[in-house]
Amino acid sequence: MYAEIRDKPSFANIHVKLQPGDQIIAEADAMACMSSSVEMDTQWSGGVVQGILKRVFGGESMFVNTFSTKTGGDLVLTQPFPGDMQCIDLNGNTMFLQPGAFVACEPGVKLGLGWAGIKMFIAREGLFRLKVSGTGRVWFGAYGGIFQKEIDGEFVVDSGHLVAYEPTIGIRIGLAGGIFSSFFSGEGLVTRVNGPGRIYMQSRSFDGLAAWTNAHLG
Amino acid sequence: MSNPAEKWPIIMWRVILPLGESAFQGRRGFFLRCALPGPERPTLPQTGRLDAVFRPLPTTHREACILVAWYGTAWWDAMNKQFSGGVLSDQLGNGRAGAEIVLTAAGVSARVPDGRSFDIPYRECRVEIGGYNGRMVFCRDSIRTLTIFCDDRKFPGELATASSGRLDEQLGDALKRVRSQSRRGTLIGVVSLAAILVLIVGGYFGVRYGAQAAVHSLPISVDRQLGKTAFSSMDLGGPEVTDKVVVAAIQKMVDQLKPQAAIEGFDFEIHVVDSEELNAFCLPGGVIVVYTGLISGAENPDQVAAVIGHEMSHATLRHGLERTSQSLGVWAAVSLLIGDSTGLIAGGADLFQVAVVNSYSREQEDAADKEGVRMLHAAGIDPSSMAKFFAIMEQEHGDAPKLFAWISTHPQHTDRIASVTATVDALPDRQYTPLDIDWQEVQSKAKDVQKTTKGDR
Repeated sequence: MYAEIRDKPSFANIHVKLQPGDQIIAEADAMACMSSSVEMDTQWSGGVVQGILKRVFGGESMFVNTFSTKTGGDLVLTQPFPGDMQCIDLNGNTMFLQPGAFVACEPGVKLGLGWAGIKMFIAREGLFRLKVSGTGRVWFGAYGGIFQKEIDGEFVVDSGHLVAYEPTIGIRIGLAGGIFSSFFSGEGLVTRVNGPGRIYMQSRSFDGLAAWTNAHLG
Repeated sequence: MSNPAEKWPIIMWRVILPLGESAFQGRRGFFLRCALPGPERPTLPQTGRLDAVFRPLPTTHREACILVAWYGTAWWDAMNKQFSGGVLSDQLGNGRAGAEIVLTAAGVSARVPDGRSFDIPYRECRVEIGGYNGRMVFCRDSIRTLTIFCDDRKFPGELATASSGRLDEQLGDALKRVRSQSRRGTLIGVVSLAAILVLIVGGYFGVRYGAQAAVHSLPISVDRQLGKTAFSSMDLGGPEVTDKVVVAAIQKMVDQLKPQAAIEGFDFEIHVVDSEELNAFCLPGGVIVVYTGLISGAENPDQVAAVIGHEMSHATLRHGLERTSQSLGVWAAVSLLIGDSTGLIAGGADLFQVAVVNSYSREQEDAADKEGVRMLHAAGIDPSSMAKFFAIMEQEHGDAPKLFAWISTHPQHTDRIASVTATVDALPDRQYTPLDIDWQEVQSKAKDVQKTTKGDR
């Protein structure tokens, strides 16, 4: 299966060329357009309970669509907000995605929902996180650009900017600086991540957008 | 003294623990069984570090002893366990892969999906603990280019066993670090939670009592503006009555009560509205609305005056503003700080309507009853008419009031009648003069209005 991310970084979308026998699983509503020869099959995302949990806590939809074809065809997948997309190749390893980040994956990839904990909630990353594991490609999206960093040691990320990280990454919530600078620098709480491992960050945050919009309303 | 293992000829040792002599160092959990006869048999500790057990033994005795690895079985089990984990290495495409981890005699071995195997000997293994759940064990080689990790709960224990205790110290240190970190995290969490709780509780009471204090320090113009804004956007439930006789009668009651108001500077503005509701209300700042239903329901003008006195008390005691400011809460405090009072008034008017639906609190009703009685008494109107009017309401609607918001949120009539009567009895004696209003005429005019309105409908 050939897949390419186009229109990077602002309005990224995945252009997929399906051959007979290929399958791609995508978040419900991710399909922007497709050849008429492509067939879509809708399933609960990992079963009814998982599906509902994913909808309620994972920021994802209850259903996933599986696209396949008998004769070959094209498919474009997208995400609802402007921003970049990233493809990662899983080789038996695991990756955690923030709620709402998942876009599509190959059939060998397992989607699960994991409890992220109160501290991730405080870091505004959601109480739950999506766990992708197995073998195959996974596509996820972010608001703004995506940049990755290989970490060995400690690294500081502002809350709301962490999109994906490996399970080897330890996460602690901390103040950006002292009590005073934490409250008045506009940074407040930050996420302190500990390696070894890789993290993916987004260059914009939804909280930032919401705060900015709020300030300009009325 | 040299390492006793060098002179130790027992084959058993090599069979069970094919680890080489270095396995002796710091190894725990062995006991010796010695085949020496009678009084020669040495007393030996059942467990302990092997070298410590060996050292005091005479050389001749050592040869007659059989060493049994009592946790040799645990060690053997650890050898064969598989754990799922992963590998970080530059040799892998993308630098990472999931892996099956096996603890061998020599070290930690990880097999990645493509079949390749990565090994780190125990002696080179640098142990770290961390990861997303704080219990992932990392085994890294000395130059940190290869990392094997696993977050299986049993992994640390098995690793300690399989490495014959050589990693105990590192594992212990790493665990200690993680625990102290998580303890600190928990402490910070608990302290922050407590601080938030204190802020919420303190904020609630601060707003509740602070609002009351703040409200009474605000100028009356705020009440007036709030009342006017609320009145203009309010659904009154009927057309306004302009009949001179009716309006003049109400005006007369208000005029007589007004000098007795708890605070000066209130301009009471009267609106009579045609509706069957047995009701009247007073908005903040003194906008009084009387329904024709109240006029036709009351036996005499004093009873209407009693209701108006009660409602005026809500305004003069600034209950509306109290309720509103409580609902506005922190937002109001913030807006006041910023100084955006136009938004506050508009928001306040919105919230006041909600507050009207939710009505006044029971304490406020009681306060308004008492203040109303005081005003009536001071104005020379018989305050017992209030209790009498409540009796009428009780008769009409019973004590399970559901018909009107005003009634349903008022305290139970029987209680109120009792408390009002008690208040009246406590007042000094005074001659009351009934209001000089031709009540028959006012009532008939009000009925006329009701008929026309009905006809219109």
